[in-house]
Amino acid sequence: MRNRPLSRSLLYHAVLCGASLVMLYPLLWMFASSLKPNSEIFSSVALRPEHLDLSAYTRGWTGLQIQFGHFFVNSLVISVLSVIGNVLSCSLTAYAVSRLVFPGRKLCFSLMLGTLMIPYQVTLIPQYILFLHFEWVNTIMPLVVPKFLAADAFFIFLLTQFFRGLPRELDEAAVMDGCSPWRIYWNIILPLSLPALGTAAIFTFIFTWDDFFGPLVYLTDMENFTVQLGLRGFLDSSGQSDWGAMFAMAVLTLAPVLAFFLFFQRTLIQGIATTGMKR
Amino acid sequence: MARRRAKYAGYSFLIPWLVGFFGLTLGPALASLYLSFTHYDLIESPRWAGLANYIRIVSEDAKVGDSVRVTLVYVALSVPLKLGFALAIALILNKGIRGLGVYRALFYLPSLLGASVAIATLWRKVFSGDGLLNHVLAYVGIQGPSWVSDPDHALWTLVALSVWQFGSPMIIFLAGLRQLPQDIFEAAAIDGASARTQFWRITLPMLTPVIFFNLVVQTIDAFKAFTPAFIVSGGTGGPINATLFYTLYLYQEAFGYLRMGYAAALAWLLVLAIMAVTAFAFMTSRSWVHYEE
Repeated sequence: MRNRPLSRSLLYHAVLCGASLVMLYPLLWMFASSLKPNSEIFSSVALRPEHLDLSAYTRGWTGLQIQFGHFFVNSLVISVLSVIGNVLSCSLTAYAVSRLVFPGRKLCFSLMLGTLMIPYQVTLIPQYILFLHFEWVNTIMPLVVPKFLAADAFFIFLLTQFFRGLPRELDEAAVMDGCSPWRIYWNIILPLSLPALGTAAIFTFIFTWDDFFGPLVYLTDMENFTVQLGLRGFLDSSGQSDWGAMFAMAVLTLAPVLAFFLFFQRTLIQGIATTGMKR
Repeated sequence: MARRRAKYAGYSFLIPWLVGFFGLTLGPALASLYLSFTHYDLIESPRWAGLANYIRIVSEDAKVGDSVRVTLVYVALSVPLKLGFALAIALILNKGIRGLGVYRALFYLPSLLGASVAIATLWRKVFSGDGLLNHVLAYVGIQGPSWVSDPDHALWTLVALSVWQFGSPMIIFLAGLRQLPQDIFEAAAIDGASARTQFWRITLPMLTPVIFFNLVVQTIDAFKAFTPAFIVSGGTGGPINATLFYTLYLYQEAFGYLRMGYAAALAWLLVLAIMAVTAFAFMTSRSWVHYEE
Protein backbone atom coordinates (compact mmCIF):
# COMPACT_ATOMS: atom_id res chain seq x y z
CA MET A 1 0.00 0.00 0.00
CA ARG A 2 2.68 2.46 1.00
CA ASN A 3 5.07 1.40 -1.75
CA ARG A 4 2.83 2.52 -4.52
CA PRO A 5 4.08 1.69 -8.00
CA LEU A 6 5.78 4.61 -9.70
CA SER A 7 3.28 4.58 -12.57
CA ARG A 8 0.39 5.23 -10.19
CA SER A 9 2.22 8.16 -8.68
CA LEU A 10 2.97 9.59 -12.11
CA LEU A 11 -0.67 9.25 -13.06
CA TYR A 12 -1.73 11.27 -10.02
CA HIS A 13 0.74 14.01 -10.81
CA ALA A 14 -0.37 14.07 -14.44
CA VAL A 15 -4.01 14.48 -13.40
CA LEU A 16 -3.19 17.18 -10.87
CA CYS A 17 -0.89 19.12 -13.19
CA GLY A 18 -3.40 18.90 -16.02
CA ALA A 19 -6.23 20.08 -13.82
CA SER A 20 -4.27 22.99 -12.38
CA LEU A 21 -3.12 24.05 -15.84
CA VAL A 22 -6.68 24.11 -17.17
CA MET A 23 -7.84 26.02 -14.11
CA LEU A 24 -5.08 28.58 -14.07
CA TYR A 25 -4.79 29.13 -17.83
CA PRO A 26 -7.58 31.74 -17.96
CA LEU A 27 -5.83 33.72 -15.23
CA LEU A 28 -2.49 33.56 -17.00
CA TRP A 29 -4.17 34.46 -20.27
CA MET A 30 -5.73 37.52 -18.68
CA PHE A 31 -2.38 38.65 -17.36
CA ALA A 32 -0.72 38.00 -20.71
CA SER A 33 -3.51 39.82 -22.55
CA SER A 34 -2.97 42.90 -20.43
CA LEU A 35 0.53 43.07 -21.90
CA LYS A 36 -0.54 42.70 -25.52
CA PRO A 37 -1.88 45.24 -28.00
CA ASN A 38 -5.66 44.89 -28.46
CA SER A 39 -5.31 43.45 -31.94
CA GLU A 40 -3.37 40.51 -30.56
CA ILE A 41 -5.62 39.58 -27.61
CA PHE A 42 -8.27 37.68 -29.53
CA SER A 43 -6.10 36.42 -32.33
CA SER A 44 -4.08 33.91 -30.33
CA VAL A 45 -4.23 31.83 -27.20
CA ALA A 46 -0.49 32.05 -26.67
CA LEU A 47 0.70 33.55 -23.42
CA ARG A 48 3.83 35.23 -24.70
CA PRO A 49 3.00 38.57 -26.31
CA GLU A 50 4.47 39.02 -29.76
CA HIS A 51 4.73 42.72 -29.13
CA LEU A 52 5.10 43.66 -25.49
CA ASP A 53 2.80 46.60 -24.97
CA LEU A 54 2.28 48.19 -21.58
CA SER A 55 0.02 50.94 -22.85
CA ALA A 56 -3.09 49.06 -21.72
CA TYR A 57 -2.16 49.99 -18.16
CA THR A 58 -1.96 53.69 -18.87
CA ARG A 59 -5.11 53.56 -21.02
CA GLY A 60 -6.98 51.76 -18.24
CA TRP A 61 -5.68 54.00 -15.50
CA THR A 62 -6.94 57.11 -17.25
CA GLY A 63 -9.62 55.59 -19.48
CA LEU A 64 -12.71 56.48 -17.44
CA GLN A 65 -13.85 59.97 -16.48
CA ILE A 66 -12.12 59.47 -13.16
CA GLN A 67 -8.64 58.06 -12.70
CA PHE A 68 -8.59 54.44 -11.65
CA GLY A 69 -6.32 55.31 -8.76
CA HIS A 70 -9.23 57.16 -7.21
CA PHE A 71 -11.21 53.90 -7.05
CA PHE A 72 -8.25 52.23 -5.39
CA VAL A 73 -8.23 54.84 -2.65
CA ASN A 74 -11.99 54.42 -2.12
CA SER A 75 -11.69 50.65 -1.94
CA LEU A 76 -8.76 50.86 0.39
CA VAL A 77 -10.54 53.23 2.79
CA ILE A 78 -13.65 51.03 2.90
CA SER A 79 -11.65 47.83 3.31
CA VAL A 80 -9.35 49.14 6.05
CA LEU A 81 -12.24 50.62 8.05
CA SER A 82 -14.15 47.36 7.61
CA VAL A 83 -11.22 45.36 8.93
CA ILE A 84 -10.95 47.57 12.01
CA GLY A 85 -14.70 47.48 12.62
CA ASN A 86 -15.09 43.77 12.08
CA VAL A 87 -12.15 42.75 14.23
CA LEU A 88 -13.16 45.03 17.08
CA SER A 89 -16.88 44.34 17.15
CA CYS A 90 -16.66 40.62 16.46
CA SER A 91 -13.95 40.08 19.07
CA LEU A 92 -16.00 41.98 21.68
CA THR A 93 -19.02 39.83 20.88
CA ALA A 94 -17.03 36.62 20.78
CA TYR A 95 -15.37 37.45 24.10
CA ALA A 96 -18.76 37.98 25.76
CA VAL A 97 -20.28 34.72 24.56
CA SER A 98 -17.17 32.60 25.06
CA ARG A 99 -15.62 33.87 28.32
CA LEU A 100 -18.27 35.69 30.34
CA VAL A 101 -21.24 34.27 32.19
CA PHE A 102 -24.47 36.24 32.07
CA PRO A 103 -28.15 35.45 31.79
CA GLY A 104 -29.30 35.08 28.20
CA ARG A 105 -25.88 34.14 26.86
CA LYS A 106 -27.09 30.94 25.23
CA LEU A 107 -30.02 32.76 23.65
CA CYS A 108 -27.69 35.38 22.17
CA PHE A 109 -25.46 32.70 20.78
CA SER A 110 -28.37 30.91 19.11
CA LEU A 111 -29.56 34.19 17.63
CA MET A 112 -26.10 34.68 16.13
CA LEU A 113 -26.33 31.20 14.66
CA GLY A 114 -29.71 32.13 13.26
CA THR A 115 -28.46 35.24 11.49
CA LEU A 116 -26.02 33.07 9.53
CA MET A 117 -29.00 31.45 7.85
CA ILE A 118 -30.74 34.67 6.80
CA PRO A 119 -29.88 35.76 3.26
CA TYR A 120 -29.02 39.43 2.97
CA GLN A 121 -31.85 40.02 0.50
CA VAL A 122 -34.36 39.96 3.36
CA THR A 123 -32.83 42.85 5.25
CA LEU A 124 -31.61 44.63 2.13
CA ILE A 125 -34.62 46.79 1.33
CA PRO A 126 -35.44 48.07 4.85
CA GLN A 127 -31.71 48.68 5.42
CA TYR A 128 -31.62 50.68 2.22
CA ILE A 129 -34.64 52.72 3.32
CA LEU A 130 -33.03 53.26 6.74
CA PHE A 131 -29.76 54.46 5.23
CA LEU A 132 -31.68 56.62 2.80
CA HIS A 133 -33.32 58.37 5.78
CA PHE A 134 -29.92 58.83 7.41
CA GLU A 135 -28.78 60.36 4.08
CA TRP A 136 -26.02 57.79 3.97
CA VAL A 137 -26.68 56.61 0.44
CA ASN A 138 -23.77 57.50 -1.83
CA THR A 139 -21.40 57.56 1.15
CA ILE A 140 -19.25 54.78 2.55
CA MET A 141 -21.32 54.65 5.76
CA PRO A 142 -23.74 51.84 4.73
CA LEU A 143 -20.75 49.71 3.78
CA VAL A 144 -18.65 50.41 6.87
CA VAL A 145 -21.02 51.00 9.80
CA PRO A 146 -22.49 47.44 9.82
CA LYS A 147 -18.94 46.14 10.21
CA PHE A 148 -18.67 48.00 13.51
CA LEU A 149 -21.89 46.32 14.67
CA ALA A 150 -20.71 42.71 14.34
CA ALA A 151 -23.12 42.17 11.47
CA ASP A 152 -21.16 39.25 10.00
CA ALA A 153 -21.74 36.34 12.38
CA PHE A 154 -19.20 34.19 10.60
CA PHE A 155 -16.35 36.10 12.16
CA ILE A 156 -17.96 35.91 15.60
CA PHE A 157 -17.81 32.13 15.29
CA LEU A 158 -14.26 32.10 14.05
CA LEU A 159 -13.15 34.10 17.09
CA THR A 160 -15.45 32.32 19.56
CA GLN A 161 -13.86 29.02 18.60
CA PHE A 162 -10.41 30.41 19.19
CA PHE A 163 -11.22 32.17 22.47
CA ARG A 164 -12.75 28.99 23.86
CA GLY A 165 -9.44 27.24 23.34
CA LEU A 166 -7.53 29.66 25.58
CA PRO A 167 -6.99 28.38 29.17
CA ARG A 168 -9.62 29.58 31.62
CA GLU A 169 -7.03 29.87 34.38
CA LEU A 170 -5.80 33.07 32.75
CA ASP A 171 -9.11 34.82 33.35
CA GLU A 172 -9.40 33.41 36.86
CA ALA A 173 -5.92 34.53 37.85
CA ALA A 174 -6.59 37.96 36.36
CA VAL A 175 -9.85 38.30 38.27
CA MET A 176 -7.98 37.39 41.49
CA ASP A 177 -5.58 40.19 40.75
CA GLY A 178 -8.52 42.56 40.38
CA CYS A 179 -8.66 42.77 36.60
CA SER A 180 -11.92 43.97 35.08
CA PRO A 181 -13.41 42.05 32.15
CA TRP A 182 -12.37 44.90 29.89
CA ARG A 183 -8.72 44.63 30.89
CA ILE A 184 -8.85 40.86 30.50
CA TYR A 185 -10.23 41.33 27.02
CA TRP A 186 -7.72 44.00 26.01
CA ASN A 187 -4.57 42.87 27.81
CA ILE A 188 -4.91 39.08 27.85
CA ILE A 189 -7.36 37.70 25.31
CA LEU A 190 -6.58 39.95 22.35
CA PRO A 191 -2.78 39.65 22.52
CA LEU A 192 -3.08 35.87 22.79
CA SER A 193 -5.43 35.71 19.82
CA LEU A 194 -3.35 37.47 17.20
CA PRO A 195 -3.39 34.50 14.79
CA ALA A 196 -7.20 34.31 14.85
CA LEU A 197 -7.56 38.08 14.65
CA GLY A 198 -5.17 38.06 11.72
CA THR A 199 -7.22 35.43 9.91
CA ALA A 200 -10.39 37.44 10.51
CA ALA A 201 -8.67 40.62 9.33
CA ILE A 202 -7.36 39.07 6.10
CA PHE A 203 -10.69 37.49 5.20
CA THR A 204 -12.55 40.69 6.00
CA PHE A 205 -10.21 42.65 3.78
CA ILE A 206 -10.56 40.25 0.86
CA PHE A 207 -14.34 39.97 1.16
CA THR A 208 -14.76 43.72 1.38
CA TRP A 209 -12.34 44.39 -1.45
CA ASP A 210 -14.21 41.93 -3.67
CA ASP A 211 -17.68 43.03 -2.63
CA PHE A 212 -19.70 44.14 -5.61
CA PHE A 213 -23.29 44.09 -4.45
CA GLY A 214 -22.97 46.52 -1.53
CA PRO A 215 -21.21 49.23 -3.55
CA LEU A 216 -23.56 48.62 -6.49
CA VAL A 217 -26.56 49.37 -4.30
CA TYR A 218 -25.15 52.21 -2.23
CA LEU A 219 -22.59 54.06 -4.34
CA THR A 220 -24.07 55.94 -7.25
CA ASP A 221 -21.59 58.72 -8.06
CA MET A 222 -18.56 57.61 -9.97
CA GLU A 223 -16.45 59.67 -7.62
CA ASN A 224 -17.29 57.22 -4.81
CA PHE A 225 -16.86 54.02 -6.84
CA THR A 226 -14.79 51.11 -5.57
CA VAL A 227 -12.45 49.23 -7.89
CA GLN A 228 -15.12 46.60 -8.54
CA LEU A 229 -17.59 49.20 -9.75
CA GLY A 230 -14.83 50.94 -11.69
CA LEU A 231 -14.07 47.73 -13.56
CA ARG A 232 -17.67 47.46 -14.54
CA GLY A 233 -17.33 50.93 -16.05
CA PHE A 234 -15.24 49.38 -18.81
CA LEU A 235 -18.07 47.01 -19.67
CA ASP A 236 -20.74 49.69 -19.62
CA SER A 237 -19.27 51.65 -22.45
CA SER A 238 -20.91 49.29 -24.92
CA GLY A 239 -19.78 48.56 -28.43
CA GLN A 240 -16.06 48.35 -28.87
CA SER A 241 -14.74 47.82 -25.37
CA ASP A 242 -11.06 48.32 -24.72
CA TRP A 243 -10.39 44.80 -23.49
CA GLY A 244 -6.69 45.32 -23.03
CA ALA A 245 -7.29 48.24 -20.70
CA MET A 246 -9.96 46.30 -18.88
CA PHE A 247 -7.75 43.28 -18.36
CA ALA A 248 -4.95 45.53 -17.18
CA MET A 249 -7.16 47.09 -14.52
CA ALA A 250 -8.63 43.68 -13.65
CA VAL A 251 -5.10 42.44 -12.97
CA LEU A 252 -4.48 45.45 -10.74
CA THR A 253 -7.68 44.88 -8.76
CA LEU A 254 -6.68 41.26 -8.18
CA ALA A 255 -3.18 42.22 -7.08
CA PRO A 256 -3.94 42.93 -3.39
CA VAL A 257 -5.84 39.66 -3.04
CA LEU A 258 -3.01 37.82 -4.78
CA ALA A 259 -0.52 39.42 -2.42
CA PHE A 260 -2.48 38.19 0.59
CA PHE A 261 -2.62 34.78 -1.02
CA LEU A 262 1.14 34.65 -1.55
CA PHE A 263 2.06 35.80 1.94
CA PHE A 264 -0.70 34.25 4.05
CA GLN A 265 -1.66 31.21 2.02
CA ARG A 266 -1.24 28.88 5.01
CA THR A 267 -3.33 31.06 7.30
CA LEU A 268 -6.10 31.30 4.73
CA ILE A 269 -6.20 27.57 4.07
CA GLN A 270 -6.13 26.83 7.78
CA GLY A 271 -8.97 29.28 8.32
CA ILE A 272 -11.10 27.47 5.77
CA ALA A 273 -10.24 24.01 7.06
CA THR A 274 -11.11 24.88 10.66
CA THR A 275 -14.14 27.13 10.23
CA GLY A 276 -15.66 25.87 7.01
CA MET A 277 -15.57 29.34 5.51
CA LYS A 278 -17.14 29.09 2.12
CA ARG A 279 -14.49 30.85 0.12
CA MET B 1 -22.70 44.34 44.54
CA ALA B 2 -19.52 43.80 42.57
CA ARG B 3 -20.73 40.33 41.79
CA ARG B 4 -23.98 41.62 40.47
CA ARG B 5 -22.16 44.09 38.26
CA ALA B 6 -19.97 41.31 36.96
CA LYS B 7 -23.06 39.28 36.21
CA TYR B 8 -24.22 41.82 33.66
CA ALA B 9 -20.81 42.92 32.40
CA GLY B 10 -21.30 40.62 29.43
CA TYR B 11 -23.93 42.91 28.01
CA SER B 12 -21.56 45.85 27.80
CA PHE B 13 -19.45 43.78 25.41
CA LEU B 14 -22.52 42.87 23.43
CA ILE B 15 -23.63 46.45 22.81
CA PRO B 16 -22.34 46.65 19.22
CA TRP B 17 -23.83 43.29 18.36
CA LEU B 18 -27.15 44.09 20.06
CA VAL B 19 -27.45 47.37 18.15
CA GLY B 20 -26.63 45.53 14.93
CA PHE B 21 -28.96 42.65 15.64
CA PHE B 22 -31.99 44.80 16.37
CA GLY B 23 -31.17 47.67 14.01
CA LEU B 24 -29.77 45.83 11.00
CA THR B 25 -31.16 42.30 11.19
CA LEU B 26 -34.30 41.72 13.25
CA GLY B 27 -35.87 45.14 12.68
CA PRO B 28 -35.27 45.18 8.92
CA ALA B 29 -36.38 41.55 8.57
CA LEU B 30 -39.71 42.37 10.21
CA ALA B 31 -39.98 45.59 8.22
CA SER B 32 -39.45 43.70 4.98
CA LEU B 33 -42.14 41.22 6.01
CA TYR B 34 -44.52 44.16 6.43
CA LEU B 35 -43.41 45.78 3.16
CA SER B 36 -44.05 42.55 1.32
CA PHE B 37 -47.76 43.16 1.90
CA THR B 38 -47.60 46.69 0.49
CA HIS B 39 -46.87 48.65 -2.65
CA TYR B 40 -43.95 50.94 -2.00
CA ASP B 41 -41.87 53.03 -4.41
CA LEU B 42 -39.69 54.96 -1.88
CA ILE B 43 -41.48 58.21 -2.75
CA GLU B 44 -45.03 57.84 -1.48
CA SER B 45 -45.66 56.00 1.77
CA PRO B 46 -46.38 52.27 1.54
CA ARG B 47 -49.93 51.33 0.51
CA TRP B 48 -51.42 48.17 1.97
CA ALA B 49 -51.82 45.56 -0.74
CA GLY B 50 -52.76 42.45 1.15
CA LEU B 51 -51.57 39.35 -0.66
CA ALA B 52 -51.40 41.07 -4.05
CA ASN B 53 -47.60 40.84 -4.32
CA TYR B 54 -47.55 37.17 -3.46
CA ILE B 55 -50.41 36.40 -5.82
CA ARG B 56 -48.62 38.18 -8.63
CA ILE B 57 -45.40 36.28 -7.93
CA VAL B 58 -47.08 32.90 -7.89
CA SER B 59 -49.52 33.26 -10.74
CA GLU B 60 -49.03 36.34 -12.89
CA ASP B 61 -45.36 37.14 -13.34
CA ALA B 62 -43.76 34.98 -16.02
CA LYS B 63 -40.30 36.34 -15.23
CA VAL B 64 -40.53 34.84 -11.74
CA GLY B 65 -41.09 31.45 -13.34
CA ASP B 66 -38.03 31.97 -15.56
CA SER B 67 -35.86 33.10 -12.68
CA VAL B 68 -36.93 30.23 -10.41
CA ARG B 69 -36.18 27.73 -13.16
CA VAL B 70 -32.78 29.30 -13.91
CA THR B 71 -31.87 29.35 -10.22
CA LEU B 72 -32.92 25.76 -9.59
CA VAL B 73 -31.05 24.51 -12.64
CA TYR B 74 -27.99 26.46 -11.54
CA VAL B 75 -28.13 25.03 -8.01
CA ALA B 76 -28.84 21.49 -9.21
CA LEU B 77 -25.94 21.55 -11.70
CA SER B 78 -23.28 23.59 -9.95
CA VAL B 79 -23.43 22.16 -6.44
CA PRO B 80 -23.03 18.43 -7.27
CA LEU B 81 -20.39 19.13 -9.94
CA LYS B 82 -18.43 21.42 -7.63
CA LEU B 83 -18.53 18.98 -4.73
CA GLY B 84 -17.70 16.08 -7.06
CA PHE B 85 -14.55 17.79 -8.30
CA ALA B 86 -13.68 18.90 -4.78
CA LEU B 87 -13.94 15.36 -3.43
CA ALA B 88 -12.13 13.75 -6.36
CA ILE B 89 -9.14 16.08 -6.13
CA ALA B 90 -9.11 15.88 -2.33
CA LEU B 91 -8.95 12.07 -2.55
CA ILE B 92 -5.99 12.23 -4.91
CA LEU B 93 -4.22 14.82 -2.75
CA ASN B 94 -4.79 12.60 0.28
CA LYS B 95 -2.73 9.79 -1.26
CA GLY B 96 0.39 11.18 0.36
CA ILE B 97 1.50 12.88 -2.79
CA ARG B 98 4.58 15.07 -3.07
CA GLY B 99 3.98 18.78 -3.45
CA LEU B 100 0.66 18.62 -1.63
CA GLY B 101 1.00 22.18 -0.37
CA VAL B 102 1.65 23.57 -3.84
CA TYR B 103 -1.27 21.75 -5.46
CA ARG B 104 -3.60 22.67 -2.63
CA ALA B 105 -2.68 26.34 -2.98
CA LEU B 106 -3.09 26.31 -6.78
CA PHE B 107 -6.52 24.69 -6.58
CA TYR B 108 -7.58 27.09 -3.86
CA LEU B 109 -6.57 30.24 -5.73
CA PRO B 110 -9.71 30.40 -7.95
CA SER B 111 -11.94 30.21 -4.86
CA LEU B 112 -10.22 33.23 -3.44
CA LEU B 113 -10.40 35.29 -6.63
CA GLY B 114 -13.66 33.99 -8.08
CA ALA B 115 -16.08 36.39 -6.43
CA SER B 116 -14.50 39.47 -7.97
CA VAL B 117 -15.70 41.47 -10.93
CA ALA B 118 -12.32 40.92 -12.58
CA ILE B 119 -12.94 37.19 -12.87
CA ALA B 120 -16.55 37.63 -14.01
CA THR B 121 -15.43 39.93 -16.83
CA LEU B 122 -12.65 37.51 -17.70
CA TRP B 123 -15.28 34.78 -17.88
CA ARG B 124 -17.30 36.84 -20.28
CA LYS B 125 -14.30 37.04 -22.59
CA VAL B 126 -13.22 33.41 -22.19
CA PHE B 127 -16.66 32.23 -23.33
CA SER B 128 -17.42 34.88 -25.94
CA GLY B 129 -17.59 34.11 -29.64
CA ASP B 130 -13.99 35.09 -30.30
CA GLY B 131 -12.90 34.12 -26.80
CA LEU B 132 -10.25 31.84 -25.37
CA LEU B 133 -12.36 28.68 -25.30
CA ASN B 134 -13.31 28.87 -28.96
CA HIS B 135 -9.69 29.52 -29.94
CA VAL B 136 -8.73 26.34 -28.10
CA LEU B 137 -11.62 24.42 -29.65
CA ALA B 138 -10.58 25.61 -33.09
CA TYR B 139 -7.34 23.64 -32.68
CA VAL B 140 -9.37 20.44 -32.62
CA GLY B 141 -11.59 21.58 -35.45
CA ILE B 142 -14.66 22.58 -33.46
CA GLN B 143 -16.29 25.90 -34.11
CA GLY B 144 -17.97 26.88 -30.86
CA PRO B 145 -20.83 29.34 -30.50
CA SER B 146 -20.69 32.52 -28.48
CA TRP B 147 -21.33 30.73 -25.24
CA VAL B 148 -22.36 33.76 -23.19
CA SER B 149 -24.87 35.07 -25.71
CA ASP B 150 -26.44 31.74 -26.63
CA PRO B 151 -29.51 31.04 -24.45
CA ASP B 152 -28.79 27.30 -24.47
CA HIS B 153 -25.27 27.70 -23.13
CA ALA B 154 -25.17 30.92 -21.12
CA LEU B 155 -26.16 29.31 -17.84
CA TRP B 156 -23.48 26.65 -18.33
CA THR B 157 -20.78 29.30 -18.35
CA LEU B 158 -21.96 30.38 -14.89
CA VAL B 159 -22.03 26.76 -13.73
CA ALA B 160 -18.47 26.44 -15.00
CA LEU B 161 -17.48 29.55 -13.05
CA SER B 162 -18.91 28.06 -9.88
CA VAL B 163 -17.28 24.66 -10.42
CA TRP B 164 -13.98 26.42 -11.13
CA GLN B 165 -14.07 27.53 -7.51
CA PHE B 166 -14.13 24.03 -6.04
CA GLY B 167 -11.02 24.81 -3.96
CA SER B 168 -12.60 25.74 -0.66
CA PRO B 169 -14.87 22.68 -0.32
CA MET B 170 -11.83 20.67 -1.43
CA ILE B 171 -9.83 22.02 1.51
CA ILE B 172 -12.65 21.09 3.87
CA PHE B 173 -12.82 17.58 2.37
CA LEU B 174 -9.07 17.24 2.71
CA ALA B 175 -9.19 18.26 6.37
CA GLY B 176 -11.97 15.71 6.90
CA LEU B 177 -10.04 12.95 5.12
CA ARG B 178 -7.00 13.55 7.26
CA GLN B 179 -9.01 13.09 10.43
CA LEU B 180 -10.21 9.61 9.51
CA PRO B 181 -8.69 7.09 11.94
CA GLN B 182 -5.98 5.16 10.10
CA ASP B 183 -6.29 1.98 12.17
CA ILE B 184 -9.64 1.15 10.54
CA PHE B 185 -8.02 1.18 7.11
CA GLU B 186 -5.15 -0.97 8.33
CA ALA B 187 -7.59 -3.47 9.85
CA ALA B 188 -9.61 -3.52 6.62
CA ALA B 189 -6.46 -4.07 4.54
CA ILE B 190 -5.45 -6.99 6.76
CA ASP B 191 -8.92 -8.46 6.27
CA GLY B 192 -8.34 -8.23 2.54
CA ALA B 193 -10.56 -5.28 1.63
CA SER B 194 -9.61 -3.81 -1.74
CA ALA B 195 -8.98 -0.10 -2.17
CA ARG B 196 -12.36 0.23 -3.83
CA THR B 197 -14.18 -1.54 -0.99
CA GLN B 198 -12.34 0.62 1.53
CA PHE B 199 -13.49 3.74 -0.27
CA TRP B 200 -17.16 2.77 -0.50
CA ARG B 201 -17.41 1.09 2.90
CA ILE B 202 -15.15 3.22 5.06
CA THR B 203 -14.00 6.51 3.53
CA LEU B 204 -17.30 7.65 2.09
CA PRO B 205 -19.54 6.74 5.07
CA MET B 206 -17.13 8.31 7.53
CA LEU B 207 -16.88 11.44 5.41
CA THR B 208 -20.65 11.97 5.21
CA PRO B 209 -20.74 14.64 7.95
CA VAL B 210 -18.27 16.71 5.92
CA ILE B 211 -20.15 16.04 2.69
CA PHE B 212 -23.34 17.13 4.40
CA PHE B 213 -21.75 20.34 5.68
CA ASN B 214 -20.35 21.23 2.25
CA LEU B 215 -23.65 20.38 0.59
CA VAL B 216 -25.67 22.69 2.84
CA VAL B 217 -23.20 25.58 2.70
CA GLN B 218 -22.73 25.40 -1.07
CA THR B 219 -26.44 25.04 -1.76
CA ILE B 220 -27.35 28.10 0.29
CA ASP B 221 -24.52 29.97 -1.38
CA ALA B 222 -25.67 28.97 -4.85
CA PHE B 223 -29.18 30.25 -4.11
CA LYS B 224 -27.69 33.60 -3.14
CA ALA B 225 -25.28 33.97 -6.09
CA PHE B 226 -25.52 37.34 -7.81
CA THR B 227 -22.33 38.94 -9.10
CA PRO B 228 -21.40 36.39 -11.80
CA ALA B 229 -24.84 36.56 -13.44
CA PHE B 230 -24.93 40.33 -13.16
CA ILE B 231 -21.54 40.86 -14.79
CA VAL B 232 -21.63 38.11 -17.39
CA SER B 233 -25.08 39.18 -18.61
CA GLY B 234 -24.38 42.90 -18.22
CA GLY B 235 -27.09 43.20 -15.55
CA THR B 236 -29.89 41.98 -17.79
CA GLY B 237 -30.05 38.28 -16.94
CA GLY B 238 -30.05 37.70 -20.67
CA PRO B 239 -29.94 36.30 -23.27
CA ILE B 240 -33.76 35.87 -23.04
CA ASN B 241 -33.64 35.51 -19.25
CA ALA B 242 -31.29 32.52 -19.57
CA THR B 243 -29.16 33.78 -16.67
CA LEU B 244 -31.84 35.65 -14.77
CA PHE B 245 -30.99 34.44 -11.29
CA TYR B 246 -33.73 34.96 -8.74
CA THR B 247 -31.48 37.37 -6.84
CA LEU B 248 -30.84 39.33 -10.03
CA TYR B 249 -34.56 39.63 -10.73
CA LEU B 250 -35.07 40.78 -7.14
CA TYR B 251 -32.41 43.44 -7.61
CA GLN B 252 -34.01 44.66 -10.86
CA GLU B 253 -37.43 44.90 -9.25
CA ALA B 254 -36.10 46.74 -6.18
CA PHE B 255 -33.53 49.10 -7.63
CA GLY B 256 -34.46 49.15 -11.30
CA TYR B 257 -38.22 49.63 -10.99
CA LEU B 258 -38.36 50.71 -7.31
CA ARG B 259 -41.03 48.12 -6.57
CA MET B 260 -39.85 47.70 -3.00
CA GLY B 261 -42.89 45.88 -1.70
CA TYR B 262 -42.77 43.37 -4.52
CA ALA B 263 -39.05 42.84 -4.06
CA ALA B 264 -39.56 42.31 -0.32
CA ALA B 265 -42.11 39.60 -1.09
CA LEU B 266 -39.60 38.01 -3.49
CA ALA B 267 -36.98 38.14 -0.72
CA TRP B 268 -39.24 36.45 1.80
CA LEU B 269 -40.04 33.66 -0.62
CA LEU B 270 -36.31 33.18 -1.11
CA VAL B 271 -35.87 32.83 2.65
CA LEU B 272 -38.68 30.31 2.81
CA ALA B 273 -37.14 28.36 -0.07
CA ILE B 274 -33.71 28.31 1.55
CA MET B 275 -35.20 27.29 4.89
CA ALA B 276 -37.22 24.54 3.25
CA VAL B 277 -34.21 23.17 1.37
CA THR B 278 -32.07 23.28 4.52
CA ALA B 279 -34.78 21.61 6.61
CA PHE B 280 -35.16 18.95 3.92
CA ALA B 281 -31.42 18.34 3.94
CA PHE B 282 -31.40 17.95 7.72
CA MET B 283 -34.39 15.60 7.63
CA THR B 284 -32.90 13.30 5.02
CA SER B 285 -29.49 13.51 6.68
CA ARG B 286 -30.60 11.02 9.35
CA SER B 287 -30.69 8.29 6.76
CA TRP B 288 -27.34 8.93 5.10
CA VAL B 289 -25.08 10.98 7.36
CA HIS B 290 -23.04 8.85 9.69
CA TYR B 291 -22.16 10.45 13.01
CA GLU B 292 -19.74 8.78 15.34
CA GLU B 293 -21.03 7.99 18.77
